[in-house]
Amino acid sequence: MALHGFNFRAMAAEHELQLHCEDAGLARAAAVRAMEEVARIEAKYSRYRPETLVSRINAAAGGDFVAIDAETEGLLDYADASWRQSAGLFDATSGVLRRAWRFDVERVPTEAELAPLLALIGWDRVERSPGRVRLASPGMELDFGGFGKEYAVDRAALALREGGIGSAVVSLAGDVVVLGPQPDGAPWRVGIRHPRREGAVVATLPIASGALATSGDYERFIEVDGERHCHILDPRTGRSARGFQSVSVLAPTCLVAGSATTIAMLKGRDAGLAWLRGLGLDHLCVLDDGSVVSSFARG
Amino acid sequence: MHSGSEAPGSLHALSRAALALPILAIPVEAGAAEIGEMGFTILGYKERGLMKVVEPVLWGKARIGETWEVQANVALDIVSGASPEGVSNISGTPVQLVSAASVTDRRYLGDVRVSRRMGELTLGISRSFSEENDYRSHAYGIEARWDLNERNTTLAFGYGQSADSIGSTLEPTLDERRDTREYLFGVTQVLSRFDLVQSTVTVARGRGWFNDPYKFTRTFYPDGAPAFLFDLRPSSRDSFAWLTRYRRHVPGADGTLQAEYRYYSDDWDVRAHTLEVAWQQSLGERWAVRPALRYHTQGAARFYSPVVPRPAPAELSSDPRLAAFGGISTSVRGILKLDGGLLIELTVGNVHNTRDFRAGGNGSPTYPTLQAWYGILGISRPF
Repeated sequence: MALHGFNFRAMAAEHELQLHCEDAGLARAAAVRAMEEVARIEAKYSRYRPETLVSRINAAAGGDFVAIDAETEGLLDYADASWRQSAGLFDATSGVLRRAWRFDVERVPTEAELAPLLALIGWDRVERSPGRVRLASPGMELDFGGFGKEYAVDRAALALREGGIGSAVVSLAGDVVVLGPQPDGAPWRVGIRHPRREGAVVATLPIASGALATSGDYERFIEVDGERHCHILDPRTGRSARGFQSVSVLAPTCLVAGSATTIAMLKGRDAGLAWLRGLGLDHLCVLDDGSVVSSFARG
Repeated sequence: MHSGSEAPGSLHALSRAALALPILAIPVEAGAAEIGEMGFTILGYKERGLMKVVEPVLWGKARIGETWEVQANVALDIVSGASPEGVSNISGTPVQLVSAASVTDRRYLGDVRVSRRMGELTLGISRSFSEENDYRSHAYGIEARWDLNERNTTLAFGYGQSADSIGSTLEPTLDERRDTREYLFGVTQVLSRFDLVQSTVTVARGRGWFNDPYKFTRTFYPDGAPAFLFDLRPSSRDSFAWLTRYRRHVPGADGTLQAEYRYYSDDWDVRAHTLEVAWQQSLGERWAVRPALRYHTQGAARFYSPVVPRPAPAELSSDPRLAAFGGISTSVRGILKLDGGLLIELTVGNVHNTRDFRAGGNGSPTYPTLQAWYGILGISRPF
């Protein structure tokens, strides 16, 4: 069995596929399907491109309903479940906060800047009826950023499986699906990025199968007066999540793993750890003091 | 936890919503998180027919629970060809001499360090020993690290104390002691996502026997009886060392610059400067290579002399390590990462010390040029 590796760029990040396959042609065909699937999802749900479905829904905020397909309905159902299960912390309309938070300048937005944006957040003001969706007020925005990439990883894994691949790793900027063990039965070794040391790993997990998602305060952040403000923002206050440097969760789907990490980050250290323990999913967290809390059994 | 009864419901609700989408549910199968490491290192050293050292080292590091960490090292040194040596001017000018007697010695070393993290403070204690047939050393240390500023700044404070017993195979009745106390203060500052700087000051106060029982100086005079002196050093040594390290990761080149400078001075008047620059370059996923260049220059101790003046002084040593000299070392390390976390590192290096390399000249004329090759093979893997 030969190992084939593919690197590609989508959603403004570098991604990687690694798969075991006897036939280089089959490997290539499966990889291309997976990469095309990621590109398709980006083209449909990116908020940065004016022609995407999400951009059209946002442009119509306060106006008419926009027709959506079954896939989008499924994703909005997922956003709804995440909002309910997190008691409102995970909110797919919180992307408007980006208008105040620009992570390329070291400045923390004031309350006066955040207040009008907070007024535009509220999943309960996303009006839905079968086959269509509408944002209640002008200026509101839907943002698939909290689950779009995770969904793309899950879809890419399915594309590989449908392409006849049984042993593969899909890695999209830190979110990983392991489709099955390596041909000799050995697990893949997935390194979790050290949140403070560039190029270092904080731990390595041997994963035979499953989806591992990681959220961290190191992806986009600014530091002002010694305080770090990261891109994971609380929809109630408009302020950055506190208490964790990073949270990694292993689950059967990347969607669930990803929401679990984001919700834990937003809940903060103690409530976040309790939430993860309650879910019963394996997790590895780097706390704000740098210590590691891991539920993965020690050898 | 009350929320525990509600959360499995959360997982169920999220999973049901996720699996309504056309995606796979992949059964979760993972092993233990690997946070500890153990390794084995062999150091080989050959110095132009003078001395050969082989030092196998076994080391391990483990995190216990969430706050404890234990590190241990055990090493065995095998030194062959080590000989009593001295400086004599029997042939006219003073030269380094090696006497006929040759020694093979084994040295056992071990240390263990236990630390515990308590929020931003980490406290550690360490204990170490070193034993060979004519030398014994026991030491302990305590240290504290304090993380500030979201771990971007770390302050380190340390205190160590060692007690050494010095004997000699040449003089079986020799039984002397030396006590050293060491104080350390260091700061590590993360400057950006890509670079950090670390600066450490160490002050040591040693009291007791500093003579090397295997070193002597023999001087012939044009008239009168020749002089023969064993090493005679002061009975105390206070030293100051300041080490500054800088590391910078260069993502575009996939490499890391590692530079360090060390200043050393003591009340024997030894002043030394050491500068090392290395570049670690990744070559794909598995390989990395690290060339390094090191320069060292030092001044002589005030009682260093290759000849015994008349009248003989109270303090005198012809030990070349106390002479004025300079040295250039070059090394290359190859690093290979294999499946299973196995890490293999091989370093090959060359040391060239000579009086001519001393910065500003004025190297000790009798300093014996030293040229040596060494190799270090290290293997480590997580457990």
